[in-house]
Amino acid sequence: MPHLRFHKRLLPSLALASVLCSAWLPLVGQTTNAPPSDDTVIYDLLLKNGHVIDLKNNRNGRLDIAIIGEKIHKVGKGLPSSRAKKTVDVSEYYVTPGLIDLHTHLDQYGAWLNLNPDHTTLRYGVTTAVDAGSTGHLGFEKFKEETIDKAGVRLLAFLNIVGAGMYGKDVENDVDQMDVAAAVAMVRKHPDSLVGLKTAHYQPTDWEAIDRAVEAAEKSNSVLMVDFHPKPGRGYRELILEHMKPGNIHTHFYGRLTPQLDENKKVQDYMWKARERGILFDVGHGSGSFWFRIAVPAIKQGFLPDTISTDIHKNSIMLPRAHLNNVMSKFLNIGLTFEQIIERTTVNPAKAIRRTDLGTLDEGSPADIAVLKIDRGKFAFLDSGHGKLTGDKRIRCAMTIRKGEIVWDEEGISMPEWSTAGPYSNFR
Amino acid sequence: MRPRNEGARHAVPARLPSREGLLRAVLLALFTVTPSLTQTYDLLLQGGHVLDPANKIDRIVDVAVREGKIAKVAADIPVAQAKKTIKVGGYYVSPGLVDIHTHVFGYQGWTWPDNTQLTQGTTTVVGCGGSGWRTFDEFKETVIDRSKTRIYAFINIVGKGMVGGRAENDVTDMDAARTAEKMEQYPDLIVGIKTAHFGRKGHLPLERAVEAGERTDKPVIVDMQVLTHQARDTRTKLLEILRPGDIHTHMHSDRQLELVNRRTRKVQPWMWEAQRRGVLFDVGHGAGAFIFPVAADSMKDGFPPDILSSDLHRRSILRTKPAMPNVISKFMHLGMSFEEAIEKSTIRPAWPLVNSPKSARSARDGQLTLRSSRSAAASLG
Repeated sequence: MPHLRFHKRLLPSLALASVLCSAWLPLVGQTTNAPPSDDTVIYDLLLKNGHVIDLKNNRNGRLDIAIIGEKIHKVGKGLPSSRAKKTVDVSEYYVTPGLIDLHTHLDQYGAWLNLNPDHTTLRYGVTTAVDAGSTGHLGFEKFKEETIDKAGVRLLAFLNIVGAGMYGKDVENDVDQMDVAAAVAMVRKHPDSLVGLKTAHYQPTDWEAIDRAVEAAEKSNSVLMVDFHPKPGRGYRELILEHMKPGNIHTHFYGRLTPQLDENKKVQDYMWKARERGILFDVGHGSGSFWFRIAVPAIKQGFLPDTISTDIHKNSIMLPRAHLNNVMSKFLNIGLTFEQIIERTTVNPAKAIRRTDLGTLDEGSPADIAVLKIDRGKFAFLDSGHGKLTGDKRIRCAMTIRKGEIVWDEEGISMPEWSTAGPYSNFR
Repeated sequence: MRPRNEGARHAVPARLPSREGLLRAVLLALFTVTPSLTQTYDLLLQGGHVLDPANKIDRIVDVAVREGKIAKVAADIPVAQAKKTIKVGGYYVSPGLVDIHTHVFGYQGWTWPDNTQLTQGTTTVVGCGGSGWRTFDEFKETVIDRSKTRIYAFINIVGKGMVGGRAENDVTDMDAARTAEKMEQYPDLIVGIKTAHFGRKGHLPLERAVEAGERTDKPVIVDMQVLTHQARDTRTKLLEILRPGDIHTHMHSDRQLELVNRRTRKVQPWMWEAQRRGVLFDVGHGAGAFIFPVAADSMKDGFPPDILSSDLHRRSILRTKPAMPNVISKFMHLGMSFEEAIEKSTIRPAWPLVNSPKSARSARDGQLTLRSSRSAAASLG
């Protein structure tokens, strides 16, 4: 019965129109030439009453978020549902900027270890992922064309100083692969995707890989992320105090290759000194780089990570289950506050890659939002040293919004019960 | 190397009581002869509620594993006999789940099964039409051989595989002979033929798939819409072309089968007739193929799926999250028992993989029942 349906659809707008006419009539004269004021605008989506944690804007409390199109229109108290096409009650949840995972491997058509981007990120509230050197200047453009440009998640990358990228020790130990000029040119060519350089897995005992990567980052005025294997004559202390530059990031710093504790489990002086000179320390959990035996004593002494990231790839996603919510939960159970964890997965990584437009809920910025919950119960978390931490809290992503679209809704909080959802049609 | 289901195709339909007895005798002999060799098992799962429909086990019992294989299922296996014991009291222990509708190769949306399936209790998946005869070798080399999940394939009747509309509508690339040839090359990996996403008129891809199925005596799994402009209807598809033992997936999709009459909310007559013929109906949940009203009405009318499966791919994993535990949970909410759900996620999906359409035809004549068939992939036996 098309007639009836037409009327049904028309009715609310008629009602709205009449309400507007009668109630707003006296105001019309005053606002004729003004642009459409915020009071009349229609929101596409309204997240109502969530506990918003948006540290860049000093927001930490119950607030509403209105979204129009792909952007955050307004964050405030008491935004009216009557003006929203769709309202989602998030009063039982935390609402944060879309999370940033600073260390991932998502060149899905590249080396075996890489994962497909979207379902390993968006399911965990991650709306920005940074690939950490899966490709170098030889393979990056293929990666960009095949994956970065098509991914739902915002995918950025560190360019490997090794031209071929992460394709095993034959290329990764070969200094001839480390062409500073070519790397600099590639970073300059793709400023929207490439945030800097990466060096990793270098086994010879000289400083060649590190120094060339540092040089390329300096010359391209970009950020360097370092994965470092200490060797006799190539110590960690010299790395973070002499070779790396302020703003450079050392990742995997809870791995057992990083001597951050002395024999009495005291945080080494050089860790504090390096932090003072601006070296950043990133978790980069991975399959082998997170030991509770290192992380817990260091955190108890007040040495916290600057950024919390996963190093998610085909190995780490399996047994240690290094997805971001799991890694965040470990720190929550060790004793960091939820705010400290959100800081380390939003504003801190954004600052580290010099993209302070990300990791915030600025009005007018892309509507990338995570809706998170802290479950209470008994949960266990595995580390790289075949140990576990049994805790009572777990961070879980209930909903992810990317560019204004709900792309993940674990509990169906944006949906009605099926029996009240109206007649079905599966015909196109 | 990981165990392959080598003997499964030749599985004897009757139960094998003698095997366990034999094992017990061997073990007994072992203990009497060498009493010092106490740690017989690599792993002992102790005190779990074992649910193994293939062997009709539904009770609290221990499971011992040795060298990657189930060595013993019995009460009170001594802890001293195992190198490692894990207490699983309070948990169900079932055969690794079998998911026959997955996308682990071939088109933009594929997912890596170790991450998306193994973590959900699924140990065996069937890549449902990702590769065709032209691309199967690449699938084997790049995914099957490198994953821990046991991976089989329904080979796409389209030579290029599931790579998008233009290729999937190209009838010149649907070669039954070449497809059958590739299947004969890998009889242990390719368990049947998939046809899907055909947007043009007629039943040609399905007919070609059945032809390849006849040449190899393997089942066909169908995803085919029945829009009016495509000059095809459900009755012809189900009752004239599909053979007993063939599988229609996406059974709750209203575009594919019109399983339930919208007005009377009863299951359509051709569905019952097809079921009587021995055509199997698979959930193939996916992003768009499962709708609660259809599933609820058909469950209420006594037409449950034969097989529970996920159709997990990059989009469905985000939208409807149809990993096997989720699909099982949905059907339990609609009235299916846990035991039946486990049967339909283990032994039942394994059945068409190890039994040929010819044996399905005899099954229809009462010589073989679903319950009595068994496969190493889906039992703890």
